[in-house]
Amino acid sequence: MFLINCPFCGEREQSEFKAGGEAHIVRPKQPTELSDDQWAEYLFMRKNIKGIQFERWNHIHGCRKWFNMVRDTSNDEIKAVYKMGEKPPVK
Amino acid sequence: MLNYSNVIENDKSYPGLQMREIKPVMKLIIRGKKRQFLSAVGKSLNLLLPNEANTSSRSDQLTALWLSPDEWMIFSNEILKSDYNNYDVEKLLNKNICKTNLGAVTDVTDQFVLINLKGDKIFDLFETGSPFNFNDFKSKKGLVTQTILTKIDIIVHNQDINDVNLFVRRSFSDHLFSWMNDSASRL
Ligand SMILES: [Zn+2]
Repeated sequence: MFLINCPFCGEREQSEFKAGGEAHIVRPKQPTELSDDQWAEYLFMRKNIKGIQFERWNHIHGCRKWFNMVRDTSNDEIKAVYKMGEKPPVK
Repeated sequence: MLNYSNVIENDKSYPGLQMREIKPVMKLIIRGKKRQFLSAVGKSLNLLLPNEANTSSRSDQLTALWLSPDEWMIFSNEILKSDYNNYDVEKLLNKNICKTNLGAVTDVTDQFVLINLKGDKIFDLFETGSPFNFNDFKSKKGLVTQTILTKIDIIVHNQDINDVNLFVRRSFSDHLFSWMNDSASRL
């Protein structure tokens, strides 16, 4: 149980949110030119690191907006939240 | 209006808590992002949409609830005739918002059930099943939040002190209301 600061609604309990996987994955410009391996790499392969991870989250039981979060996966410490399309405020 | 039947048959009363369904009440969801959208809605309804998060605004006839940065719920303050399903407000918004491609208007009158709660035990009830922190919320008239109550999505509107409107999807309303009664009987 931890609090997440929704960029739109403010601080809410974690159970109002849904995790949406790794953030900042760019869809290939020409999918038809990729090999199956390259396409699978884009589609399925995720970093899943222990430590600082950039993630997408959705305030699904609130404003239903997507946003990004920087989270330390080893201790659930949230380093930052920022809106879609914005640059991460921390490295 | 498609559905005339009450979800909640009887008004319920407990020490410090009264609960009843209010119907028929017109409910619309409107969505839009552009500045012209906001001004067109304002002019059409003579009501400024709240742009601050978790707040509401009110005119004589209508209340507008902030749901997200581009989504609001508008509902009628007065009870409407039950045989009437043509809303002038919806028609007006369709003309000024939809036809002009500024935003979207959806009639959710039958989708949402409005339960009104009165009394000083309202938030004691909510706190038995919601992760939302109501401490500041309960003393500020007009605040709005979407959250969960016993795992069901709800919209809570702090209409007045000890006077709260709760919107819940119709299919969940029967279960939610029986849960609320069960919980209220143990407060
Ligand atoms: Zn939110």
